[in-house]
Amino acid sequence: MSPETPTTGAVDTPAAIRERDLQAQERHEDELIMHLERDQFVVETSRPVPRAPLSARAIAGLWALRVFVVLVSLMVIYTFVEQLH
Amino acid sequence: MSTPEVTASPLLGQPLLTDEDRARSHDRSRVQHARRQRRRWRLMWLLVGPGILAMLGENDGPSMIAYASDGAQYGLGFFVPFIPILFAMAYVCQEMCMRVGAVTHRGYGELVLQRYGRVWGWFGAGDLTLTNLVTLIAEFVSIRVGLSYFHLGAGVAVALGLVLVVFTLSGGRYWRWERIVLGLALFNGLFLVAAILVKPHVGALVGSFDFTPFPGGGFNTLLLLLASTIGATVTPWMIFFQQSASADKGMTPTDVGHGRYDTAAGAVLAAVFGIGALVAGAALLSHNGSGIQGFAGAGFPAALKHVAGNAAGAVFALGLIEAGGVAILTISASTAYAAGECVGVSHSFNSSPRNAAVFYAANIGVALLAAVVILIPGAPLLSIALNANVLATVLLPVSLVLMVMLANDRGLMGAWVNKRSTNVIGIAVIAFVGLCGAAYGIDSFLQTVHLIGS
Repeated sequence: MSPETPTTGAVDTPAAIRERDLQAQERHEDELIMHLERDQFVVETSRPVPRAPLSARAIAGLWALRVFVVLVSLMVIYTFVEQLH
Repeated sequence: MSTPEVTASPLLGQPLLTDEDRARSHDRSRVQHARRQRRRWRLMWLLVGPGILAMLGENDGPSMIAYASDGAQYGLGFFVPFIPILFAMAYVCQEMCMRVGAVTHRGYGELVLQRYGRVWGWFGAGDLTLTNLVTLIAEFVSIRVGLSYFHLGAGVAVALGLVLVVFTLSGGRYWRWERIVLGLALFNGLFLVAAILVKPHVGALVGSFDFTPFPGGGFNTLLLLLASTIGATVTPWMIFFQQSASADKGMTPTDVGHGRYDTAAGAVLAAVFGIGALVAGAALLSHNGSGIQGFAGAGFPAALKHVAGNAAGAVFALGLIEAGGVAILTISASTAYAAGECVGVSHSFNSSPRNAAVFYAANIGVALLAAVVILIPGAPLLSIALNANVLATVLLPVSLVLMVMLANDRGLMGAWVNKRSTNVIGIAVIAFVGLCGAAYGIDSFLQTVHLIGS
């Protein structure tokens, strides 16, 4: 990709103008790409990360915590509703 | 992601560019230029944001009312040193969020969903939506309370909150959204002004750092105060918000140091302003908290007017409006990030509404839903406001556990995994938050069903 627009000496035909615009756009896009890390692009972050293997103990621990939290939340909500009365 | 904005890159083998990439790249070019030029303050200015917003966003209406209630009921004693400790805990949690967001460039919701399965992802999003909706209602209540000091009604509160949300979303750029909300968030300092206006006894303030007197009253009251004060400092929405905002801002591992400064600055400011609300509330201690009865925390501005003059009351009322307004913006944003991440569609302020319809719809929709609730005649607004923090505290441990797991995931974080000391502190925070929330929930429930006496 040439950094400069080629000088042909010809008059500015519509085709030449389009070509210059395209090259300017390409330079701009090149500059944009330089400022982002590769894994920052939307096309990269759209790809899901692989599933992590969780041990049976970790899964059991997470479920126990989840059930406990739901139970306590229900207690808080019940208390809140009762206090309204 | 949505396809209409995508264009082919001119460079062979380079990724496709979206409008979101272009906007983020523009922001990153300024960061890289400042770094090359060694312009430290410019670099700091460009990189601050998510940390301060998470911390000051959490100094929201219910939180400031909780701090002021602590002061009005118990004086300066225990809570003045307790607030900085809680924000130190919040720093540990939020630093992890920032680091995971900067290293992976992904939000909390999508990482949990993809890494640990849809069940955990949707559980987290469900917890977030519930606590966010309740908290947003409380934010509108807070704005309404502040406005009522100036004889303005609920309709104005709703209009103000919704106009703020729509206005900040209108630019289609993360940078613009962040700078507007940062500007508004600095007015959280009004609580410090209120504290100065009540002319506190400096000796008593300094002396309170020895944690005495310890709050009296019943065990359940103490648990409620602990749970609601913790809920005023660390909440699920902060975790979702700071990680997603760090990724949306385009932070990278090279920015982690500045991200830590940003988070620490937010924690310090939030602690100082929170203590300001507590000190202002403590001015009512000698008046037996008379002004806060009936309308409870909602009567603070009027009560302060009687004790410390019209200026103190007006500043406190303006502070409540600011606290509610900023929290509506940050909490709505966290809901929008979570919705976009869990559904798997574009979720960025740098995307246009056409390309990120779910993100923008969730952002406005959740605020609109909360606004509708406060317009319902006879709705138990105050009870909702007072219980919002407690519910957030109870649901927080699961979010924190998954956050610590992400921050220790070497497959995602590489060399940026948690240090051993961070894990020890993080686990201690989870245990403390979990115990306080659970103790209050269980104790209150047993009292309500008359299995134990009050």
